[in-house]
Amino acid sequence: MKFGKRLKQQIEETLPEWRDKFLSYKDLKQLVRLISTTNPSPNAEAEFIDLLNAEIDKFNTFFVEQEEDFIIHQKELRERIKTVIETFGPGGSQPSEAEYAAEMGRIRKDIVNFHGEMVLLENYSNINYTGLAKILKKYDKRTGGLLRLPFIEKVLKQPFFTTDLISQLVKECENTMDAVFPVVAQEQAERGEREALMAAEQSIFRNTVAALVTMKELRKGSSTYGHFSLPPLSLPDADLLQSFQLPSPIPIQ
Amino acid sequence: MKQHYNTGISGVMSSSLPVLPISLEEKYLKLLDSQQVTMERELSSGPTAPLHTPYVKNTGVVESFLSSVSEFSSDVHCTSVPQYERQPVSASYISQPSSSSLSLSSTYSSYSGTCQPSMSNYPKESAEIAWCPDSLQGVLDYSDNVNTMNDQFQSSCVMTSDNLIKQNEWPDLTDLMNGDWDDFLDNRDATEPQPKTSDLHVVYPAAHASTDLSAHHSQIYQSVRSHSGEQRAVSSLSSSANAAPAKQRMRWTPELHECFVEAVNQLGGSEKATPKGVLKLMNVDGLTIYHVKSHLQKYRTARYRPESSEGTSEKNIAPLEEMPSLDLKTGIEITKALRLQMEVQKRLHEQLEIQRKLQLQIEEQGKYLQMMFEKQCEAGIDKLKAPSNEEDPSSQYSDLTHNVTKDGISEKDQAETENCPSGAIMLEECSRQVGDKQKILEPDADIRSNMIRSHSSPHKRARSHDADVSSATSAFY
Repeated sequence: MKFGKRLKQQIEETLPEWRDKFLSYKDLKQLVRLISTTNPSPNAEAEFIDLLNAEIDKFNTFFVEQEEDFIIHQKELRERIKTVIETFGPGGSQPSEAEYAAEMGRIRKDIVNFHGEMVLLENYSNINYTGLAKILKKYDKRTGGLLRLPFIEKVLKQPFFTTDLISQLVKECENTMDAVFPVVAQEQAERGEREALMAAEQSIFRNTVAALVTMKELRKGSSTYGHFSLPPLSLPDADLLQSFQLPSPIPIQ
Repeated sequence: MKQHYNTGISGVMSSSLPVLPISLEEKYLKLLDSQQVTMERELSSGPTAPLHTPYVKNTGVVESFLSSVSEFSSDVHCTSVPQYERQPVSASYISQPSSSSLSLSSTYSSYSGTCQPSMSNYPKESAEIAWCPDSLQGVLDYSDNVNTMNDQFQSSCVMTSDNLIKQNEWPDLTDLMNGDWDDFLDNRDATEPQPKTSDLHVVYPAAHASTDLSAHHSQIYQSVRSHSGEQRAVSSLSSSANAAPAKQRMRWTPELHECFVEAVNQLGGSEKATPKGVLKLMNVDGLTIYHVKSHLQKYRTARYRPESSEGTSEKNIAPLEEMPSLDLKTGIEITKALRLQMEVQKRLHEQLEIQRKLQLQIEEQGKYLQMMFEKQCEAGIDKLKAPSNEEDPSSQYSDLTHNVTKDGISEKDQAETENCPSGAIMLEECSRQVGDKQKILEPDADIRSNMIRSHSSPHKRARSHDADVSSATSAFY
């Protein structure tokens, strides 16, 4: 039940357009319950598989589309940076410090948000995978089936789980940030509360924090924690993260 | 300074760089370079053995890039991914490319000649991160930078073709689609160690994934699928024969996008370019006008409304945007906030990567153990049939089935585990090693000896591991 609740929270917190793209964990769980209690017909498993495949299709479609958007966006960001440098930069065609700063400010924000979205997509991928794995485990446990192992192998190869490209884009984003906005010593002042609040107002940021916290909670240990479970997550800044969690309509705890 | 540096696919390269402040220019160039090299490195250092490539250092790549680029004629444009796609699906199609891979010539248009058929059947992920080492050897024999570029080009080409090939509506394949998966997949097995499943299914609906399940299931599934009508038709290739022009999901890559942008620019920009023109100019096999159309639409939106190209709720960013950027103090605070946000995002990204690797590892091990389990199972059955072992196995059975029942597993499972009780015990015990990332409890040799031992002798081991078995069984993921 814990995963279901966590998933629900994540969905509530997520970007609005993403809300219906997540795994229908609860429904699938109910189906498993149904299958296990009533007399399982030979079609039951096939139906279940159908549903799972439909879910996977949903993930794939959404993921691939987002990925495409990201590819385009990344390129556009680069173009923008180049243009700004070439136009308003010191050696540019219309050098203007004010304009440069303004544009760069916007670009910076965009890059950070872009980065955030991509990471959230990775999180999306992961949480759906986790859900699928759990559902399959439940299915096997309740019906004595041996569906999990072969099925999960297929899932591993699905587009929505093969996040290498996104990962690469994320890294490139980080590099671009470092290159274009190098860390200046004075900026490394202590984190003020105000900054934290400002950051926390951004839905992407809140999402990210929620995702991290969820991940930690999910791996904390459960009744079925065992040898195939992931080890607990230890985050160095765990308390800092807690402080970012603004009161939201649905309490995180 | 053009953006093409970082991908290796370029249109006409200008040899003169714009006048920019040295520091920024160099920095950005180096950045793009390192990304190129990094990408190459990442691409080639996948799970397969690291490949020897004569990677040059950053600056070296830039310079040689520039020099070799100037050699290329200006008729460089995205040429098609090669004709291998037209070949009938047969063993030759998927055989190791001996000659074709070595035919790297020094113009971009040779990109068509360098694509390797054997790669096309890899799922996209492995094409990106783990090239078939054999086919790459030919590529890597070249030592000059031109081929470093082509390398990347090739990888992108492979990636492209990899994606596109799956979308390709081969008329002769549609029969295959419906019927002869096994034959088709069998052919592939000859050349690839990968399991005979869904490599081709990457961009298909997960529907196809079920073909590897028991025949019963796959038959049901296929029949269900063919009856399920519209929603499947859109994304399934087998029914694409009828819905050929319908949208088929395809997976874009940065390289393909570069190709696209190049084509669009040649046609005068995103407004002037038409899908048909772009499609023709890109000349990439398997790419349909629908793909281009939708991509062009996205592209246009992205260019004219850069803030909301992904439809994100940028409205939430509004509070920050309204703050006057001239207010220095606020500016610094904004910067700090952004840095904070970035850090948290980086953290999440790191953790997700780790988690994903772990998940992959777990399943990998699980697969291996399952295999060993089955092997031992066969051995076990033989041994168990011998009279001297009858009592022992039965005590094992009762232990195990008792445990198994405790977990609520049904009769069917018990029957299956009865045959290989010790195998199951060992499986669970081995799974302990798998799940425990920090410490490996027993080396592999022990596993084997344990398995053999427990087959023939009665079960202290079984009894002492009762608790483990029941907990491990239920914690299978």
